[in-house]
Amino acid sequence: MKIIKELHDQHQNMLNRRHFLKQGTLGIGAVALGSLMGCNPSINKQIITGSDNNYQPFVAKAKRIIFLHMAGAPSQLELFDYKPLLQKLDGKLCPDSLLAGKRFAFIQGVPEMLGPQFSFKQYGQSGTWVSDLLPNFSTVVDDVCFLKAMHTDEFNHAPAQLFMHTGSPRIGRPGFGSWVIYGLGSLNENLPGFVVLVSGESAPSGGKSLWGSGFLPSHYQGVELRSKGDPVLYVNNPKDISRDLRKDAIATINKINQQEYEDAGDPETLARIKQYELAFKMQMTVPEATDIESEPDYIKEMYGIQPGEVSFANNCLLARRLAERDVRFIQLYHRGWDSHGSNDFESLHGGFVERCNEVDKAMTALIVDLKQRGMLEDTLVVWGGEFGRTPMQENRGGISNKFKGRDHHGEAFTMWMTGGGIKTGMTFGETDEIGYSGISGRVHIHDLQATILNQLGIDHEQLTYHFQGRDFRLTDVAGNVVKDVLA
Amino acid sequence: MKKKIYIVSFILIALYGGWYGFDHFNTKKIDFNTDVRPILNKNCLSCHGGVKQLGDLSFLFIDEAVKKKNESGQRIIVPGNAQKSVFIKRILSTDTEVRMPPEKDQLSQGDIDILVKWIDQGAKYDTHWAYKPINRTPKLPNIDKQIASTNIDQFVIKELEKKGLKPSVEAEKSSLIRRLCLDLTGLPPSIDEINEFMADTSEQAYENLVDRQLASPHFGERWASMWLDLARYADSNGYQKDKIRKEIWRYRDWVINAFNNDMPFDEFTIEQLAGDLLENPSYDQILATAFHRNTMTNDEGGTDDEEYRVAAVIDRLNTTFEVWQGTTMSCVQCHSHPYDPIKHDEFYELYGYFNNTKDNDNDKDSPLKVLYSPYQNKLKSALENEVNTLKEKGDTLSNEYQKKVAEFLAIEPGKVQVMVENPPDSSRTTRVFIKGNWLSHGDTVLPRTPAFLPAMNPDYPSNRLGLAKWLVDGKNPLTSRVIVNRFWEQLFGNGLVMTLGDFGTQGNKPTNKALLDYLAFQFEETYSWSMKSILKEIVLSSTYKQSSAVNPELLKVDPYNYLLARGPRHRLSAETIRDQALVISGLYNPKVYGPSVKPYQPEGVWNVIRHVDQWINSTTDDQYRRGVYTFWRRVSPYPSMISFDAPSREVCVSRRIRTNTPLQALVTMNDPVYVEASEALARRMMTEGGSDTQSQIKYGFKLAVMRDPDIRRLNELINLYDSTLGKYNSSDQNIQKGKISENTNAFKTMSLIANVILNLDEVIMKT
Repeated sequence: MKIIKELHDQHQNMLNRRHFLKQGTLGIGAVALGSLMGCNPSINKQIITGSDNNYQPFVAKAKRIIFLHMAGAPSQLELFDYKPLLQKLDGKLCPDSLLAGKRFAFIQGVPEMLGPQFSFKQYGQSGTWVSDLLPNFSTVVDDVCFLKAMHTDEFNHAPAQLFMHTGSPRIGRPGFGSWVIYGLGSLNENLPGFVVLVSGESAPSGGKSLWGSGFLPSHYQGVELRSKGDPVLYVNNPKDISRDLRKDAIATINKINQQEYEDAGDPETLARIKQYELAFKMQMTVPEATDIESEPDYIKEMYGIQPGEVSFANNCLLARRLAERDVRFIQLYHRGWDSHGSNDFESLHGGFVERCNEVDKAMTALIVDLKQRGMLEDTLVVWGGEFGRTPMQENRGGISNKFKGRDHHGEAFTMWMTGGGIKTGMTFGETDEIGYSGISGRVHIHDLQATILNQLGIDHEQLTYHFQGRDFRLTDVAGNVVKDVLA
Repeated sequence: MKKKIYIVSFILIALYGGWYGFDHFNTKKIDFNTDVRPILNKNCLSCHGGVKQLGDLSFLFIDEAVKKKNESGQRIIVPGNAQKSVFIKRILSTDTEVRMPPEKDQLSQGDIDILVKWIDQGAKYDTHWAYKPINRTPKLPNIDKQIASTNIDQFVIKELEKKGLKPSVEAEKSSLIRRLCLDLTGLPPSIDEINEFMADTSEQAYENLVDRQLASPHFGERWASMWLDLARYADSNGYQKDKIRKEIWRYRDWVINAFNNDMPFDEFTIEQLAGDLLENPSYDQILATAFHRNTMTNDEGGTDDEEYRVAAVIDRLNTTFEVWQGTTMSCVQCHSHPYDPIKHDEFYELYGYFNNTKDNDNDKDSPLKVLYSPYQNKLKSALENEVNTLKEKGDTLSNEYQKKVAEFLAIEPGKVQVMVENPPDSSRTTRVFIKGNWLSHGDTVLPRTPAFLPAMNPDYPSNRLGLAKWLVDGKNPLTSRVIVNRFWEQLFGNGLVMTLGDFGTQGNKPTNKALLDYLAFQFEETYSWSMKSILKEIVLSSTYKQSSAVNPELLKVDPYNYLLARGPRHRLSAETIRDQALVISGLYNPKVYGPSVKPYQPEGVWNVIRHVDQWINSTTDDQYRRGVYTFWRRVSPYPSMISFDAPSREVCVSRRIRTNTPLQALVTMNDPVYVEASEALARRMMTEGGSDTQSQIKYGFKLAVMRDPDIRRLNELINLYDSTLGKYNSSDQNIQKGKISENTNAFKTMSLIANVILNLDEVIMKT
C-alpha cells in the first residue's frame, strides 16, 4: 500500500492537476484555484512534502510579504552604513590588503578610497544614522530592523538578483514567490498569489526569470501587474463585448463543456469549466484592485503617486491595496541604482539622488499606512539591493571614473525589514571601519531567505521539489534563520 | 555499549528468526530491481549512497557493498544468511542509537521481509533495467490477432488482460483524423481533407492519410517544436542583456528540414553534436552544431567570461545526457550521483569531451560561421538551375531572367553560432572541480565515458565525434529507449517511462517495459533510426486509434491512462493552440522556413532590457505564421505561449507540464490574436457556411471539431446567437442589412459565437 501511495504522490508533482480534483477537501473550486493562485492551504501539506511525512507549516507571523528590491544595488555607504573614517581616507590609495585575492566587476589595479558623499544624522530613539538623502524615511527608523552585514556570493547584477530571488545565480530556478505559493497556496480566490510590480529605468537585470516558476509548474510564476495597458494581459474584453455578453459567452462555453464532460468523462473538462468562471471573476477584481486613483487624496499625497505614469510610488500604493486583498507575495522592483560613476545617471550625485527622491516618500508612506491600518503586524516588508558598493571609487580600466561612484561589492551591504514578527528599532550586524566587510552579525542571502520563509510559516529545509534527480529548495543546501531579529 | 547492542540484536534476531521460519514456506523470488532497490533508495542511500558514504559503505555500488566488512570484521551482507548479516541486525535493533536508518521509525515489516528474503536467497543483485542491453530478439506476447492486430497492441493488451481490462472501441473517424493531423503536422485538417477521408471507405484510407501527413512539409515544423525545447533553442543569448541571435533561426530550419527529410536519428545525433568534426563537413553539418551553441552567453559588464564558459560547457554535458540518455547529470557536478552509479570524476571525464571548443562567452558570441539555411541552399540551387536554363536559351534580357537573378541574389547567408574545436596544440586541460566549484581544481582527467555504460569503441576518436557515435552505435542501452519514449509521450501525453529525462533509479519504472524495448528495437534496428517509420507504426496501432472517452470505473482503475485502455486525450501545446486558431479561421500563412517573426504582442511586454532591440509587431502575412516561427526571447518569451506552458528555453526541458488556468482562458478569449481569429472565423462562417444562421454555426463548429454539432451543442450556440443579436440590436441602432461588414450586429454576434467555438474544451484538447 505504501508504495502505491508513494507512486501516487509522485504523480502530483509530474502531472497536471487532476490529482487535486479528487484530493482537495474543498472540492473542485479550491482545486481549480490552485492552478492560478497556487494551492489551497488545506492541501499544501501534500505539496510541501510530496511524500508521507508529517511536515506542517507552522503558525506564521506574516501572512504576506512586500519585497522592495532596489535593482542595481544602492550604496549602503551613502544611506545607512555611516563610516566617518572613510571620509578621512578619501582620495588615498586603497591598501593592498583590501585587494589581495579579491575579484571585482570593474575595479582594476589600485583604486582610491571614496568617503561618504552625503552627511548623516542620528534619528529616533534608536539613534540610527541615516543620510540626508532620506528625510522621510529617517522619521520611521524606530519601526524597522536594519541588517548591516548582509553579504552575497555574486557581484554582477543578473546573477546576484537571481541569487536573491531564486536562491541560485543561474537561470532556471523558481522565484521566491513561486516557492511560497507552492508551499502555502494563495489567500485570495480572485487574484494571483504572487504579483510583480516593476518601475524605474526598465525591468531588473535578471529579467522575468526572477519571477519565473523555474521547474515548478508554470502556474506558480509571478504575474506582472502592468502600470500601463491591461494590468493583467488580456484581462479586458475587446471593445464590442460587454461584461454582460462575456458572461453569456462563458455560460455557453461551460454548458457545452459540461456536455463534453458527460460524453467523454474527462475530469480535466470540469477543471476547465472552473477556470472560465475564475477568469470571469478576475476580469472584475483585477481592475478594481489596481485602481489606485480611487484612493482618497490624502493617501495619494502621502505616497506621492503620479497618475498615469509608471512609478515606484504608484506601485507602493498598489502594493498596499494588493496586501489588503490578501495577495501573499508582492514583489516590487525599482531599477536604476547602479552608481558606478561612469556617467551622470550612474553616479552618486546624479542618478542615485534621483532614485532616493523617488523611493523615500513612498516607502515611508507604505510603512506608515500599513501600520495605521493594523496590517504591519502580519505583513513583512523587506527592502534592499542585490549587493552593496565598494568603499573605493570605481576605476574602470585603471583610471578613476569621471563621476563619483562605487563598484559592485558582495561582502557587505545594508537591508532593512519591518512587520511580520521582526524586531523593530534595532540594527543587527556591523561592518568594519570602512564598511568593507561584516565583522559581526553577518547575514548571507540564504539566511535572509530562510528567515523570510520562517516568518511566513515555512521551514526552509522542508520546502522541497524533486527535479532532475534531486530535491531542490530555495536555500539550496544552506541558510540559517536569523533568530536575533525575530520579535 | 557495543556488547549490549550485540545481545539485544541477538535476541531480536532469534525472535525474528522464529517468526521468519514460520513464514519461510512463502518462497516468493525477490527481484533486486523491483523489490530491494526502492527500499535502499528510500531509506539507505542518503547516507550510504553517492554523496555520503558513511562507514565507507555505499549501497549504490552494490557489488562492493556485498564484499564489505564493518570495523569489527563482520560481513555487512552474508549472502544466503540474513541472520548473520550486520545489515539486518542493525535494521532490527531496538536500540534507537544502533538501529538503521537512524532517527526514524523501524522499517515496515514488509520491507524487512523483503530484505531478509533477498539475503537468504543469496543477495543477488542486478543492473538497473535501463542500463541492460535491449533484447535483440523481442518476443511477441501470443494474443489472438483478432483482439490485438498490431505488435504494439499485443504488448498493450497483454498488460490489460492482467488487470482484467479491455481496450476501447476505435474512435469516430472525425475524431481520428483530427487527432492524427494534430499529432503529425500540428495542424487541423481542412474541410476538403475531412471530406476526402470520410468518403474513402477502403481499408487503406487511414494509412493513406498517415502517409500524406508524414509527407507534409508541416510535419517537420510540428516535431521541431519538441526538439527545440530539448535544444533550448531561442533567438537571444540569455542573462542580463539577452542580446539577439539574429541568424540562429537557420539552426531551427535545420531541425525542421531534418524531420521533413526523415534524417535517420543516428545522423541527426552525430551532426548536431559533432558535425564540425566529420570529414569534410558540409555547411549543413556545421550548421547542425548550433545545437550546443544554444547555451547562454553572459554579456553583462564585469562578468568573468571563463565562469560563464564553464557554465555553458556544463550545460552541454547535462543537456546531452538528459536528451539522449535520460540521465540526470547535474548532481554529479558537485559529488557522486546520490542514486545512480555515476562517480564525481566521471562527470569531468565527460566534461572533457565538451571542454575543447573555441567559444568562450565573449561579447561577439563567436565563433560564428557564414551559412545559409538548408532551405536557402535548396532554393538557391533551384534558382541557379532556372537561371542557367534561361541563359542557355539566350533569354538573359527577359523579365523572367531578371526576376530569377534578383531572387537568387536576395537569398542572404548569416553568421551563425557554431562549434569549432581547438587544434590539438591548444586544447584545454580538464580538471575535476572540487565540490563543483569551478575555481577549485582537482586532478586532471581525460575524456572517457562512464563505467556504468558500455565502453566506447576504441576505434572512435576521443572527442565529441566519438561521444556522438557512442550514443548511437547500437551498443548504448539508453538512447533508443529514451528517444522512442519521447515520441510516445508526444502522441499519448505520457511516456511509457513517465520521467522522460530520468531513466535512472529515481525515475519512474516503465509502465510497459516489453513494449518500450520492442519500440526501441524497432526504431534502432528494423527502421534503422527512421523517425517517420517508428511514428507510423505507433499511429497505425489500434491502441492509438482507440476512443478517448472514459467511464468512471476505468478512471478509478487507471486515472492517468498508463495502461492504455483508451485513446490519448490531453490539452494541445502552446504552439498548436495558436496554429489551430489560425487554420480554423483561415488567417493561417502556410509559408515554411525563414527568419523568426514577431506577431502581435501588447506594448510594453518587451521593455525588459534597455538598449537591446525592440519588438515591432509584424504587419505582413508573417503575423499569421505558425508558432514555431515566433521570435523566442529568453528573458521575455511570447506571453500567450508562456500561459500555455511553453518554457523560456533557458535550459533543456524534457517535458512541458500541462496546466489549466484562468490566464489561459483570458488568452483565448481576449488576446487580439484570438479576437482577430474569431472575427475571421465569423467571416468564413457567414460567407462559406450557407445562407441561414444555423448552417453557418454548424459550419464553424465543423471547421473546429471536424464533425457536425449534436442538437444539444447546436441549441446552446443558437440560443447565444439569438440573445446576443437581440442585445446588440436593442442597445445599438446601427443595424445594417445585406453585405457582411465589420459593423453589422450580425457579424459582431457571429464573432462572439466563433470565439466561443475556439474556446471549447474539445477544441483546446486533443480528443
